[in-house]
Amino acid sequence: MRNVKKAFGIVTAAALVAGLAGCGGSNGGNDSNASGSPSASASGSASASASAAPEKFEKISLFQSKVEIAEPLEALAKKYKEETGNEVEVWGSAGDAYATQLQAKLTAGQGPTVFSVATGAEAEKFKSYLYDLSNEPFTASIAPHMALEADGKVVGVPYGVEGFGIVYNKSLVDPKDVSNLDSFTKTLEKLKAEGKNGFSLSQEAYFLIGHLINMPFALQADPQAFIDKLNKGEVKMADTKEFQEFAKFLDAIKANGTNPMEVKYDTQMGDFATGKTAMVHQGNWSYGMLKDYGDLGFDIGMMPFPLAGNTKLSVGVASNWVINAKASPEQIKAASAFLNWLFTSETGKNAIVNEFKFIPALTNIEADDLDPLSKAVFEATKSGQTVTWAFNMFPQGIIVNDLAPAAQEFFLDKNMTGEQFLQKLDAAWAKAAK
Amino acid sequence: MSKKMDKVWFAVFTVPLLFVFATVVIIPFLIGIGYSFVSWDGIPANPKVFVGFDNYAKLFQDERFLASSWHTIQFTVLALVSVNLLGLLLSLFVTAKLRTSNAARTLFFMPNLIGGLILGYIWQFIFTDAFKMVGEKTGLHSVFFNWLLDPQFAIYAMVVVFTWQMAGYTMIIYIAGIQGIPDDLIEAAKVDGANLWHRLTRIVFPLLMPAFTICLFLTLSGAFKIFDVNLSLTKGGPNNASEMFAMNIFNEIFGYGHYGLGQAKAIVFFLIVAILTLTQVVITKRREVQM
Repeated sequence: MRNVKKAFGIVTAAALVAGLAGCGGSNGGNDSNASGSPSASASGSASASASAAPEKFEKISLFQSKVEIAEPLEALAKKYKEETGNEVEVWGSAGDAYATQLQAKLTAGQGPTVFSVATGAEAEKFKSYLYDLSNEPFTASIAPHMALEADGKVVGVPYGVEGFGIVYNKSLVDPKDVSNLDSFTKTLEKLKAEGKNGFSLSQEAYFLIGHLINMPFALQADPQAFIDKLNKGEVKMADTKEFQEFAKFLDAIKANGTNPMEVKYDTQMGDFATGKTAMVHQGNWSYGMLKDYGDLGFDIGMMPFPLAGNTKLSVGVASNWVINAKASPEQIKAASAFLNWLFTSETGKNAIVNEFKFIPALTNIEADDLDPLSKAVFEATKSGQTVTWAFNMFPQGIIVNDLAPAAQEFFLDKNMTGEQFLQKLDAAWAKAAK
Repeated sequence: MSKKMDKVWFAVFTVPLLFVFATVVIIPFLIGIGYSFVSWDGIPANPKVFVGFDNYAKLFQDERFLASSWHTIQFTVLALVSVNLLGLLLSLFVTAKLRTSNAARTLFFMPNLIGGLILGYIWQFIFTDAFKMVGEKTGLHSVFFNWLLDPQFAIYAMVVVFTWQMAGYTMIIYIAGIQGIPDDLIEAAKVDGANLWHRLTRIVFPLLMPAFTICLFLTLSGAFKIFDVNLSLTKGGPNNASEMFAMNIFNEIFGYGHYGLGQAKAIVFFLIVAILTLTQVVITKRREVQM
């Protein structure tokens, strides 16, 4: 009996020790190669077989911010495996919480091998994680001025150019009737009288205020200088002409439309697709949603938001593919091979244009079969009818953390005017820029 | 020999636990205290600047933090009352020797098996779409509207979801307490002519005090530390009106990148939770009676 007990004790102790060793081992592995893949053993076996076949790379992980391309990206990863035998693990997209999750993962040493960063403050923030891509073959074909650079080195490849403005139903709205504040307001009132929702925003931070507020910034003579002054408290939005008119636009939107706080991106596009909403403030990416509705029964187009008679679409690079500089050399090699495949192989190029619906920012990718919204952006880009994405120069996180709550308050408080909203925005900005 | 073996056995079972507890709780906690004295944005490559007690001084001027503490207090008080009241009622109900009591027990407990995140999303749908529809159908617009868009009702909505989740759990604890009360005591009271109210307040509740201690502790600390329901149900909105302590700390660290300030908040948060729950346990312990 005593022996049995002893044996049992030894087995238990051994099991405990083994368990501990297991924990410690896998932690160490993650720290050293920053793979972050939940299956540390899988990547281990992959590297073991790497020496056998020359084209075989380590399994890499990919994390990116665009919910819209999550499905096609997974499909693409499958195709990549079929064509090359290498594996890319696509992590679920996180939407608004992307930057947060990315930071948590990178800080914990479990970052993805390939990830995306937004141009501007976000790229600046993660600068120490961006691998120098200057010598990679695929960066040579990035369109002029479109590459993401840090300290003079190319560190990121743009997803593509993107643009937003007013996406409208051609059978309900004529762009001529939406050319300035007066005509915009009249059109909204007319549509309201007809029982239609004239202009719709949705509750997500960027769709609620982030994109909309870009216009008054972009119309400044020098947006970057204006934002710097705003950060220092030398100017106020409430005292600036473009913002004052912007406030009046907001008043008109609030008075004549459904409360955007009740509307999600899905409902916004759904109502637009079914003809209940005439105009939405959206970008070319939203065509992916509309496509699901099949034949809409009407034509759609994109026109500029007519603030101060503006006639240009807001076009920029939202996001860039980057490689995690803190990943192991093998992982970086595998990641570089994947990006090279993505930007040079027929399958990859096809996916960028036809599956992701990106308007390519690489000169080696043709785009002749674009959807109507992307076409509008593409043509505006070619003819120079574009304004910059000033919100990329905003202080990091300000749209989600400060501007969105202020906008929520504006849309929920029936008595708040656009002017009061500007003051709230000024206050929020002052706090965030500190 | 056997003394020595005892010590070995003691070590075999406690050292691994101690090791785990130290690495995942104590050491991070101590490191966290260290972080609360620096100004840092959470990116390992960037410098950490020692600022002493600046972070602690700053957080008491942070209006959003103070507002979130007020939300948390409101939420905790409401949740404490509703969870325990409902849990107690449910437990009395299912111990009343009804034919359905076993099924009812299972059903009441079930929400607790669903994670707070998922519950939040389910209820988000109920508060947003279902409430609106009921309001339109019945005309009771003062009750059935989108609760999540009203600053005050967003907090009530969280109370409802938290109650829905936790009441079943406290019910189980109360049931155990009630079943621990000998039948002869109740019988004797009945014979002496005590009505239901007297039996409850003079016999059942005093003997239930240990259960009260546990349940109040669980709901108090649970409500104070709530994060998952907060995140999935309201995201702290509208306009941060339902942002609780934990979420405020999270936003400070990850939203603004003020790692040090967020840590200072977390330390203050820990102290508050510790003081509150300890006080509560001491008070209710004192009222426990022995048979």
